[in-house]
Amino acid sequence: MPVRAAETSAPPQHHSGSNCGHTSPPPFTLLSVGQGFSGTQNVSSLQKEEAWRVNVRIQGCDLENGYLCGTMEALNVPMADTPVVTFWEGEIVDTKNYTFFTEKWEATHDDDIRHWTKFPSFSALLSRVEVDGGKSLDLSNYKYIFMRWKEQYFVNVGTDCGLTIAGFYYVCFSCSDGSINGFYYDPNSSPFQKLELKSTNEGRLGFSFSSYELR
Amino acid sequence: MPTSASASASASSTTATGPNSDLLIRLNSPDSQVQLKALRELKNRIIGNRTKKLSFVKLGLVPAVAAILASKAQAHSHSDHDCNLLVQSAAALGSFACGFDAGVRAVLDAGACPNLLLLLSHPDDKVVDAGARSLRMIYQSNLAPKCDFLQDKNMEFLLSLLNSENENVTGLGASIVIHSCETITEKKALCHAGVLKKLVSLLQGSPSQRDNSLESLATIMKDNDEAVSEFVGCESGRALSSVIELTKDRHLRTRFLASRCLIAIRNTSSCYLQDMGIKTKLVHLLLELHDDPGQVGDEAPFAFSSLISQKVDLQKIALEANAIDKLYNHLQKNHLHPKRFQGLLLALADLCSKLESCRSRFLSLQALNLVSEALTHDSSDVRTAACICLRCVSRSIKNLCAGNFMNEMIVPPLVRLLDDPSISVQVAALSAVGNIVVDFTTHRSLFLQCGGVKQLVQLSRSMDSTLRLNALWALRNLMCLADYICKQGIFMELTASSLASLICDPEPFVQEQALALIRNLVDGCMNSVELVFAEDGIILDAVGRQLQSASRDEIWIQGLYVLSNVASGNEVHKEAVMHQLVPQADNGAQSLILKFLQSNESQLRIAAVWTIVNLTFPSTPNAFSRFVKLHNAGIVSQVKSMASDPCLDVKLRVKSALGQFKTFSDGST
Repeated sequence: MPVRAAETSAPPQHHSGSNCGHTSPPPFTLLSVGQGFSGTQNVSSLQKEEAWRVNVRIQGCDLENGYLCGTMEALNVPMADTPVVTFWEGEIVDTKNYTFFTEKWEATHDDDIRHWTKFPSFSALLSRVEVDGGKSLDLSNYKYIFMRWKEQYFVNVGTDCGLTIAGFYYVCFSCSDGSINGFYYDPNSSPFQKLELKSTNEGRLGFSFSSYELR
Repeated sequence: MPTSASASASASSTTATGPNSDLLIRLNSPDSQVQLKALRELKNRIIGNRTKKLSFVKLGLVPAVAAILASKAQAHSHSDHDCNLLVQSAAALGSFACGFDAGVRAVLDAGACPNLLLLLSHPDDKVVDAGARSLRMIYQSNLAPKCDFLQDKNMEFLLSLLNSENENVTGLGASIVIHSCETITEKKALCHAGVLKKLVSLLQGSPSQRDNSLESLATIMKDNDEAVSEFVGCESGRALSSVIELTKDRHLRTRFLASRCLIAIRNTSSCYLQDMGIKTKLVHLLLELHDDPGQVGDEAPFAFSSLISQKVDLQKIALEANAIDKLYNHLQKNHLHPKRFQGLLLALADLCSKLESCRSRFLSLQALNLVSEALTHDSSDVRTAACICLRCVSRSIKNLCAGNFMNEMIVPPLVRLLDDPSISVQVAALSAVGNIVVDFTTHRSLFLQCGGVKQLVQLSRSMDSTLRLNALWALRNLMCLADYICKQGIFMELTASSLASLICDPEPFVQEQALALIRNLVDGCMNSVELVFAEDGIILDAVGRQLQSASRDEIWIQGLYVLSNVASGNEVHKEAVMHQLVPQADNGAQSLILKFLQSNESQLRIAAVWTIVNLTFPSTPNAFSRFVKLHNAGIVSQVKSMASDPCLDVKLRVKSALGQFKTFSDGST
């Protein structure tokens, strides 16, 4: 894991009051529009070990509203002839727009805590999250960004492709190296399917950044 | 005999040009009885009839009426007959001017205004009434001359009107305020002269005085927080309460004007009228006023827009009040007046400008079909409003990614508007295009097939800087994450030399967009980097020059990202960036990159650090020699000093850079 113990040990600052100090996370270039990530999702079941190669690309980012979106491409899906691309939307846990408690998608607070605690970088936050979902935390200067990614629709295949996007991902982005870890949650699928992605630079000898602006 | 002469003239003219020219002859008659009769007849024939008004204006009847008015007003005769002539001539002129700009123009050209003003001091109330009414009709038009309130005599005149016992005269005073009061200085001058207090007292007057007062108050308080404070404090808050009360008046127009007055207060001073009750009430009232088939219904969407524009809380309330469905239902009606059509589209645009939930509702109603139809409307105002609506609805990456706009229904008519004869339509169409081309699927080919790129490129060369700016903005978005073929196509159309001149455009905002466009051009596959080396690297040189000479962070940020992206290419690319950023010979000049690393703007520092990271990217053959050059230019030590940068992203990227530096130090020692 790319997470460093030293970085997780410093607990984030608390708000001085419940209604102030909520600031959006600063823009992170590695999590900006156009950035690509690749890795795997472990979909192993009791019967067999299996992992799909996965590519992710960020297509939209609105930190003010805690919003992120992009596409996820699964490459070696057994029942599909082509890579399967889905469009997902993300909620950034900024404690202003979203807290650590999901409050939907069939996820209880216990489910939330069970998944978040899988991320070592979360341990420093646990005690406060248990109280109120982390409402009183200021994560604006934390080196990890926690998110939930929910796939919304299939981009290139029909809904009859035999795959489901019913669940969602608990995600942790490391601002240090741009790596992403996640756990898929769907009460009807294998538990804790792990997503592991690394920032890619697509054949370049360095990092490159695009931008667009909506009006 | 005057009578028989007139009769014979009438007979002959009837044969020649019909009964209309007979009227002209009778108005010019030396017999004032004939004139009076002709005035009455004229007045009755033109009331509410624009066609008749226009034909009489063309026949030159207005100067004839104005001449009668002038002769009697200046004669100071108070006989009943002359008073009748004054009343009828003033009324006829008022009728010409009522809701008809060509009529207003003719009345003004005939020099009638000074004589109408003379009537206001006439001893006969009927004459005063007629003069005031007629002037009010004139002052309801934009063509009427502005009254300069900063001149003492004008202010005194206005106050004398507002202090009059005559309802029509006070109404005239209010119309002059509504028509002429524009600048904040004028608004303040009116308050200091006691106009606001006078208008507040008129709220207790007749229904017509009340309406006039409400409209004038809204005009004076708009963007004038001093006036709002004075008004709210007036009569211990009773003035504000009475306006709130008037939102329940039985007269539709009064309810409308009271709501406009409250909107002016709210929009000017955010500390007033913030409670949920009044906000909800205003939203519901204005939605209800849309049902009026008349003038109030035409104006209601504009007032609704000003209520919700830029205010998420009110947009939420409006959504809950079913505003999108209601506005959509109005939009569906056939034969909408262009003004109402425009207003409804703009109101929907404001509703969808911020909230995704509003956009979802809008799209679920298939309202885009109507917007698409509006793109080809005869009225340029409607076409502009349709584009603005499309821009606001498409301000949603979720819907853009779903391909909701890049389709046959929207793109072809929108692209055609890029060639519209009206610049405001072109600008609005460009802003919608700018959003819609943010499409990361293959659908963007539709835009190219429709000739969209050609149009955008042509507009990027326009003499009008707003068109250039918006065209480049759209091209920049179109270029974002496009594949190489698409990028190459756009680049060929634009050409390297024209891009280089746009980087050095006289307008800083154009420069910024041109650089952002090139930044996107050189992102993605490595081949695209080669494009900026076309024509002997004219683009890269222009970027370098602009980084040297510009003085705005936004330009530096985009320019630096161009270089940073190029620096993520191969050795040749990296060396070219070094050439731009680090002086070859030690001539004492500070390297550009050092300036950016020391900037107070974190976005600039991060772009600068990424450039260093890319230039010293490990396992590239000349990375070490670049590191040495950077070291010698003082850049490495600058980066080292940034290890505790207050911006976390900068700090973490500095850490990456230092990690790379360490590999060189390890290797060199």
